[in-house]
Amino acid sequence: MDEKGIARYSRRDFMKAGFVFGVGAPALAAGYAAVPDVFARAVFDAKQAGVVNDRVLVMIQLGGGNDGLQTVIPLGSGRFRDLRPTLGAVADKALPLTKDLGLNANLGGIKKLYDAGKVAIVQGVGYPQPSFSHFDSIRVWETADPARRQQDGWLGKTIAANYDSAGHPLVGCACGSTSVPGALRDLQATLTVIQDQNTFKFQGGDNVEKVMGALYTGTPGIYGALFDTAMTTVRDTVAQLRTSAAQYTPKAAYSDKQQLVYSSKNQLAAALSLASELIVTGTGVKILHVTLGGFDTHYTELNRHDDLMAYFDSAVSAFYADLAAYGMADRVLIATWSEFGRRPNENASAGTDHGTAAPVFLIGDPVKGGLYGQAPDLNALDALGNVGYGVDFRAVYSEILTSHLGVNGRDVLGQSFDRVPFVKDPARSVASNGALVHANGARLAST
Amino acid sequence: MTDSPDVAEKQTKRRSDRKGPVSRRQVLVGAGIAAGGLGAARLLGLHDLGHLGLPGQSAAPSNATTQDWIAPLDRPEARVAQLLRRATFGYTRAEYERAVSDGFEKTVDRLVETAPADPEPFPGGDTATRGKPLRVGELQAWWVSRMIDSPSPFAERMTLFWHGHFTSDFRKVSPQTPYLYWQNLTWRRLALSDLRTMLYQVTIDPGMLRYLDLATSTGRNPNENYARELMELFTMGVGHYGEDDVRAAAKALAGWREPVTQAMYDDLVAEAQQRGRAVPKNLKPDDVKTGVFEPARAYAGAVTFLGVNRRWDTQAVLDRILEQDAVAPFIVTKILREFVTDAPADAYVKRLADGFRKSRYDVKALMREVFRSPEFVSAPAYRALVKSPTELMVSTAKAVENPQLVRTIVQSGGSMGQTLFDPPEVGGWPSNASWVSSSVVLARINFTVNALATMPKLPAFKDAHNVFLDGVVSPKTAELLQQTGDEPSRWLIVLASPEFQLK
Repeated sequence: MDEKGIARYSRRDFMKAGFVFGVGAPALAAGYAAVPDVFARAVFDAKQAGVVNDRVLVMIQLGGGNDGLQTVIPLGSGRFRDLRPTLGAVADKALPLTKDLGLNANLGGIKKLYDAGKVAIVQGVGYPQPSFSHFDSIRVWETADPARRQQDGWLGKTIAANYDSAGHPLVGCACGSTSVPGALRDLQATLTVIQDQNTFKFQGGDNVEKVMGALYTGTPGIYGALFDTAMTTVRDTVAQLRTSAAQYTPKAAYSDKQQLVYSSKNQLAAALSLASELIVTGTGVKILHVTLGGFDTHYTELNRHDDLMAYFDSAVSAFYADLAAYGMADRVLIATWSEFGRRPNENASAGTDHGTAAPVFLIGDPVKGGLYGQAPDLNALDALGNVGYGVDFRAVYSEILTSHLGVNGRDVLGQSFDRVPFVKDPARSVASNGALVHANGARLAST
Repeated sequence: MTDSPDVAEKQTKRRSDRKGPVSRRQVLVGAGIAAGGLGAARLLGLHDLGHLGLPGQSAAPSNATTQDWIAPLDRPEARVAQLLRRATFGYTRAEYERAVSDGFEKTVDRLVETAPADPEPFPGGDTATRGKPLRVGELQAWWVSRMIDSPSPFAERMTLFWHGHFTSDFRKVSPQTPYLYWQNLTWRRLALSDLRTMLYQVTIDPGMLRYLDLATSTGRNPNENYARELMELFTMGVGHYGEDDVRAAAKALAGWREPVTQAMYDDLVAEAQQRGRAVPKNLKPDDVKTGVFEPARAYAGAVTFLGVNRRWDTQAVLDRILEQDAVAPFIVTKILREFVTDAPADAYVKRLADGFRKSRYDVKALMREVFRSPEFVSAPAYRALVKSPTELMVSTAKAVENPQLVRTIVQSGGSMGQTLFDPPEVGGWPSNASWVSSSVVLARINFTVNALATMPKLPAFKDAHNVFLDGVVSPKTAELLQQTGDEPSRWLIVLASPEFQLK
């Protein structure tokens, strides 16, 4: 049977036979509202005084280890060309930021935002005794713990400690993936994962939905609470998306480049369009996570990385323009992260191996644009041929948490860091009820 | 990153909290179910563990879930069913009845001793070129069909295990060569062999040579990708080697290139002629389905690798790795997390690892020990694993005896996070708790609804809840089954239930 045949048949069959739940279904429908959110409700009932402001964080993961030197290019370094006989060609077309530094030529949209003061680039971001393992280093960045002892994600912790996510599953949301990213993971936070908005609904309609809601209730066993919470979250999210989708039309052109080699499984533009929908329709979303993969450029990197830059640039530019057209750009901070940069010296495959520190981008109206940190010194590579780091990645997190989201960054990170002051209008103080209030208090007065 | 340490470990904590005196008070949920045709149901009820308290749950509402399944593994048919759920891709009613009649020991023998059966050749597989690439969707369907009805179901299940462990994806390897198809054949052929044989074939596998860049590495300017993942993901895990060892191994392993098939050669010649270019002098078809070693591209000198300074060849590098104490526990832990429990005890790992190493890394012997270990059928191992999307889908097709579901299965994997020949990352797929997100749970249910809806006629339900759920169901599942006599609806409840997501 061909694909179309199946689809046609399935619909017809449903209409004809359907699923018959007899007397049970109405009773179940009535009973659903009383079903508690298994893990979270009790924990969060005590947290009436959550953080109240309208700021939103969008984290973009550049999966695989983004090559910082091909992204923010050391134009002034003769050593760069020596280390990268093939890849060094990227400098020819770079968009100059200063006489010594240029952006990848395919970051034209980001460059425009930079010129408008809406992009901060923190250079040389890393951590001591870096891991060269993808998985190890991803975990370090996700848990904000170079000692690799923490289990919970830094964003998950932030949600658990500061927001009432029970019954509001869109406080934290991963768009475009199937599993919860490590950064958002925390058993005490309810989270939504939406791989594809168009398919995020129950096949078989309301009847099936109600039965599934009942079926995933009080499930025993070690995975029981996870399954039940996932189902509650699905149902809440389906209902929310129904409303949001009706209220949202993108005000910018998002396009996913399916032909993009090695990263066509990434639909960054679609994920950011969904992020925009969740933000502009007032779903209460605070923290979003999206991923663009394909950065593990061990071979023929020049064109591959340039393509990724173009894709990133186009998706992020559309996202910013969309938010701006909706008048929401002042709330949203976009931040990039990647597990590591890459080795300055190119390898035999015209690619690069795993490296250390790299730049982080902070984008949006809340940002005080410009360059932060120090450009890597290619004349002072360490024994393994890598650049040193100047800014601890947790200092970047700290600024995001404390100054942008207005939560207590020290609680989440376990220590304080000197400010990397890329947030223009930092959160101000802790209110008597424990909530932080940011400096843009006028908008909060009415809430 | 093949797991979700945080979630998994918290759950482990919950489980370990169960130690000590446990109330045997049973909540009998099966009572009064006869009306729904479930007279034969053996609903075993649940232990109420609420009084034990859980970390951070002191203020938990009274209806929070703090119960565990009552393991039915004292019953022979439940032990056999668990074996089939884990060692194979599930079962039809007939396969279940045969295995129950054979008993656990005999079924272990049959599964483990059945050598991998060669699949029907994949049409066009050996002759893939730029002009005639492998059709990935067809290749996926070809494999799923094997999973559903292979005469060597355990070897087939192990083939998927190795595909996740020694992984490669079609995006980087490219369908314009036979390499990924060959890799699947090789992993199946060696699925029950020994780790030493496997590692050598993995290292020189054409798909792997491309996926982790060993094919373009040279002794003069090595590419570290394969050398690193060989130690980190394939054999030892981080912490058992240094950066110097990565660099040394990269040098020592360099020198391999991809083979050129006759079809690829003909394609290149035709293209050269069409463009009026000379055919490169050195180009000729290779008669092998492995990498080809070119000494001129290798590293000629000595390096220090894992503490030994000498000149190395590929086999010597692998043998040095296999001498390390970290290898056996690393592989055993990964096996146990897919076949027994998400959190195997140290002593259990050590016992099996010692045997594995003594057997010179014999995979078949290891798996036999795994299935025959008391831990495999102990109560804490019951429903301690989450089916991967592929396991869920194939076990569904088998339960409803519908091999026509292949197409639906191939189309549904992506939404659940598992597309064959396309792992999300070099570490393969995650496991267990990582398969439980809102998006994935919804996609699993939607698959089941779609699968049932494509079937004009379902097998008789009879006691499907006993055959496929061991008769151990939650109060809600029991209640829902009781509420409907409609056969498709009852199949849906069983196959979409949380119980059926577990193995």
